[in-house]
Amino acid sequence: MQRVTGGVAVIPMLALLFIIAVLLAQAWPAILLNGGGFFTHTSFDLGNTYGAIVNTHGVRHPQGASYGVLGWALGTVESSAIALVLAVPVSVFAALAISERLPAYLGRVVGLFLGTLAGIPSVIIGLWGALTIGPLLAHRVYPLLAHLAPKVPVLSFFTGGTGNGQGLLTSGIVLGVMIIPIVASTTRDLVHSVPKLPKEGGEALGMTDWEVARRVTLRWVGPGIVGASVLGLARALGETMAVAMVSGVVLSGSPGSIFAPITTIAATIVTQLDSAFTDTSGFAVSSLAEAGLVLVLITLAVNVAGRLLVRRVASTALPVGRGV
Amino acid sequence: MRRTALEPDPSDLATSRGHESSYPVLEASSLRLQFGSTTVLSDLTVAIPRGQITALIGPTGSGKSTLLRTLNRMNDRVKGFSHDGDVLLEGESIFGRNVNLMLLRRRIGMLFQRPNPFPMSIGDNVVAGVRAHRIAPRKQHRAIVEARLKEVGLWDSVSGRLADSPFRLSGGQQQLLCLARALAVGPDMLLLDEPTSSLDPGSVETVEALLRKLVPALTLVVVTHNLAQARRIAEQTMFLFGGRLVEFGPTAQLFESPNEPETMRYVTGRIG
Repeated sequence: MQRVTGGVAVIPMLALLFIIAVLLAQAWPAILLNGGGFFTHTSFDLGNTYGAIVNTHGVRHPQGASYGVLGWALGTVESSAIALVLAVPVSVFAALAISERLPAYLGRVVGLFLGTLAGIPSVIIGLWGALTIGPLLAHRVYPLLAHLAPKVPVLSFFTGGTGNGQGLLTSGIVLGVMIIPIVASTTRDLVHSVPKLPKEGGEALGMTDWEVARRVTLRWVGPGIVGASVLGLARALGETMAVAMVSGVVLSGSPGSIFAPITTIAATIVTQLDSAFTDTSGFAVSSLAEAGLVLVLITLAVNVAGRLLVRRVASTALPVGRGV
Repeated sequence: MRRTALEPDPSDLATSRGHESSYPVLEASSLRLQFGSTTVLSDLTVAIPRGQITALIGPTGSGKSTLLRTLNRMNDRVKGFSHDGDVLLEGESIFGRNVNLMLLRRRIGMLFQRPNPFPMSIGDNVVAGVRAHRIAPRKQHRAIVEARLKEVGLWDSVSGRLADSPFRLSGGQQQLLCLARALAVGPDMLLLDEPTSSLDPGSVETVEALLRKLVPALTLVVVTHNLAQARRIAEQTMFLFGGRLVEFGPTAQLFESPNEPETMRYVTGRIG
């Protein structure tokens, strides 16, 4: 029995290694030919797919084919960061409201909505973003934001043309909506798990509800909230369909403004796979696989960083050892 | 110099407290406490003397803890809880409409049955209430931490690890930390709900000695199941039984020559 359970336990590890191995094998020709330049510029150029296939260093590719992941990776990280900045405070307040403030039945109703929101297919959220909220924001909100932002070096990122709502900020907002259920429901469960005794200690000290929430409850679950945020961030980084629908999918260059159209690695792969298949040498598909590998690495890096952060936060906050 | 719960004395942090007068600090009159339709305690009229330790004894279910938690209104939000009658702090109702609950609890601190440090460093624990009430500027916090930890005798053992988690301290040390935290906001009174019941004998002795040192500057009300403890530390003892106050008087008298037969049976171990 022990052997069986032990064997089952290694399945996730094997699956991850297998996925990385397959991606690596697919991407190998692209890694050889694209070299370091793949990471320092942005381009998606199939080359001359009607001309002769040429052979460079043993890799077959159309003349003039050129790929660079930099802008896509930036778009991925930036849109996910915006999503996180928007979603975490909303989720934490929602979780506190649900478990500490609202009457139990209302908390259950809100929880039901959260669950439903989590279950809505991303293509529907994408439609909502592309048809409704994106244009609305672009006409009503973004111009105001762009007008208010001062024209100084870093903050000028928040100025400029606001376009039609397809772009970085809309992607971040849509992603934020998608990860709120994850972060909020995890946080709610964590807040529920905080024992009564320390909270009563805060009340007995004359703290207001808000102070008890801030100084006791949130600190108690702090490491968990970091973990939940990492979970949400991982989801945002890999989210494909909704972003493909609201980002504008601009394959070259990197965004000069928060309103500018962008692309992410996932959106690029899903929207360009079709045309990549027209490259009979397979080099375009291989390059997309290389981009996919970069996305896997970014996600892994976020998970590792999240773990380190949880450990850091937990060192004074988490009740460990005796007396609990 | 009477104070209302609304107006804290600016000299709260100072050690001088108004215990010169002899009128009672806390009075209950015709107090009845209920959970739903169950009456836990009825017809309680009692005056708790200032600057002394008053022990609350009685068998399980006699309403000791409910009474204690009513005095700083911790029962307010307990489902089904209701009260009749009144409790006066320095002559003023604690249930009054314009009583600031936060300031009331700052004046009447509480120590619980089990230590309940907050999930923050040892030093931050001591000044948690000081921060919440904005009692002192940040640059004084360090001095407050030192003073209060010295007051409870923890300073020598934790001075080198103020930034550490309190959950690595022993149970007794954690309880002392909670006491330091309660003292740091400058209360007039402390309510203690079986404060030593989860501690080892050595820690019990430490905590008891400390409580003796807090009077007469503070008024203490201690719920205890431990009759020997009541005899050791309390000037006054209140015996609750069957939802009513049976007897209240000087500890020695209550234990040695009680007026009521029920008290006699309880203190000699025949009921309880």
